[in-house]
Amino acid sequence: MARLLVLAVLSVALMVVDARFDTFKPVRSQLGLLLTPFYWVTDLPVRLWEGINQQFTSRSELLAENEKLKAEALLMQRRLQKLATLTEQNVRLRELLNSAALVDERVLVSELIGVDPNPFTHRILIDKGERDGVFIGQPVLDARGLMGQVVEVMPYSARVLLLTDTTHSIPIQVNRNGLRAIAVGTGNPESLELRHVADTADIKEGDLLVSSGMGQRFPSGYPVAIVKEVIHDSGQPFAIVRAVPTAALNRTRYMLLVFSDPRTAEQRASEAAQAQEALDLKAAEQGAAPVVPPAPTPERAAAPAKPEPPAQIQGPRR
Amino acid sequence: MSPTGAHNLWVIWASYLVGLLLSVAPMPSFMEVGRPLWLAMCVTYWILALPHRVSMTVIWLLGLAMDVLYGVLLGQHALTLTLIAFLVMSLQQRIRVFPPWQQSLVILVVFGLAQLVQLWLNALTGNRPPTLAFLLPALVSALLWPWVFTALRGLRLRLNVN
Repeated sequence: MARLLVLAVLSVALMVVDARFDTFKPVRSQLGLLLTPFYWVTDLPVRLWEGINQQFTSRSELLAENEKLKAEALLMQRRLQKLATLTEQNVRLRELLNSAALVDERVLVSELIGVDPNPFTHRILIDKGERDGVFIGQPVLDARGLMGQVVEVMPYSARVLLLTDTTHSIPIQVNRNGLRAIAVGTGNPESLELRHVADTADIKEGDLLVSSGMGQRFPSGYPVAIVKEVIHDSGQPFAIVRAVPTAALNRTRYMLLVFSDPRTAEQRASEAAQAQEALDLKAAEQGAAPVVPPAPTPERAAAPAKPEPPAQIQGPRR
Repeated sequence: MSPTGAHNLWVIWASYLVGLLLSVAPMPSFMEVGRPLWLAMCVTYWILALPHRVSMTVIWLLGLAMDVLYGVLLGQHALTLTLIAFLVMSLQQRIRVFPPWQQSLVILVVFGLAQLVQLWLNALTGNRPPTLAFLLPALVSALLWPWVFTALRGLRLRLNVN
């Protein structure tokens, strides 16, 4: 009995200290390092199954997939060509406006290694941690949109709180007209709810919601969700707006960690301008001697849209 | 079979380890709500079978390991696991002579209590499921108990753990 009391008091003390202070963060982080292998082991059957699946995929299926991927690559390349000119144009216009929006961010690819066992929270474990520069509050994306943010960092892994967790909310804006709102998680992986949207607000089904960057946490302009339904209930003070996250929150295995630029807006603007000048100079030189094939200078003026290496994608201007 | 002094205590530790592993093993999401309390079941079995080989402090530390694995406040699972251990220990003399299905009933109540404490602690950090589903793990554990009991008992007798 005495032992129970001692241990219970100890637990409560630990909980209070853990909730109020940061004293245990390093201890936790080290313990996490010790216990991450558990997640690796429990994830093994899934990996094994995937491996076996890959081994035994038939040749025809592979050929079909190859065809599909080639077609997709072609489509992407076409878009990329457009993107190059668009990025150039965007940079020029921004310079004209003297605006300081970031051109691009650095990202890091990471893999899912575990899902939180508690079904009432939406959190996942990823295979990048403190050693890779992951930090608390870092935004996480997948190919289709924002997924969430890092809430706990261990040496070789990190915990990510997904957008749909009941304790998570994200400032967004409607892409069509810039209307701002806050999207709150509902505990359902397929649904977000918009809080305090006026009944008369211009928002309708099918609208794309992008991050607004207002909370100073998520970079602005990434797709977050698509409005599924707007309910105008005269008994309610606000419209009920439900949206479906664009990211495949409960299906993605690979995700991107975004490193926002630590530079201030002014620095970014001046550096972007300088880089642009340098590029213009280079373009002018090449324009002066167009007959010579540019073999010794492989990086051309269209650098912003250069296909990046998959593991560590560097922003073009830094 | 084994020389005196060897009690094969590693079996107990191995079962704890497996309990920890199973409690974070990936499951289909519809089953996740009713994930059995594997570690608590292992602890309960060893308290019933070999009460002198189970230490409250070790159980508390296992609870801390659970907290780190689940990423919740340190001490949350430690508290509930210690509570389970204490209740089972104090009822141990009576439960160990019950037939398995009656043991299941006791386990349902004890684990249900622990889940209730867990719910309160979760509510403090803002994660409160809006349903009674938090009791489901206790129910599933109680239903699984006869099999877990038989399996661990077979293991104990075969490997001569004492």
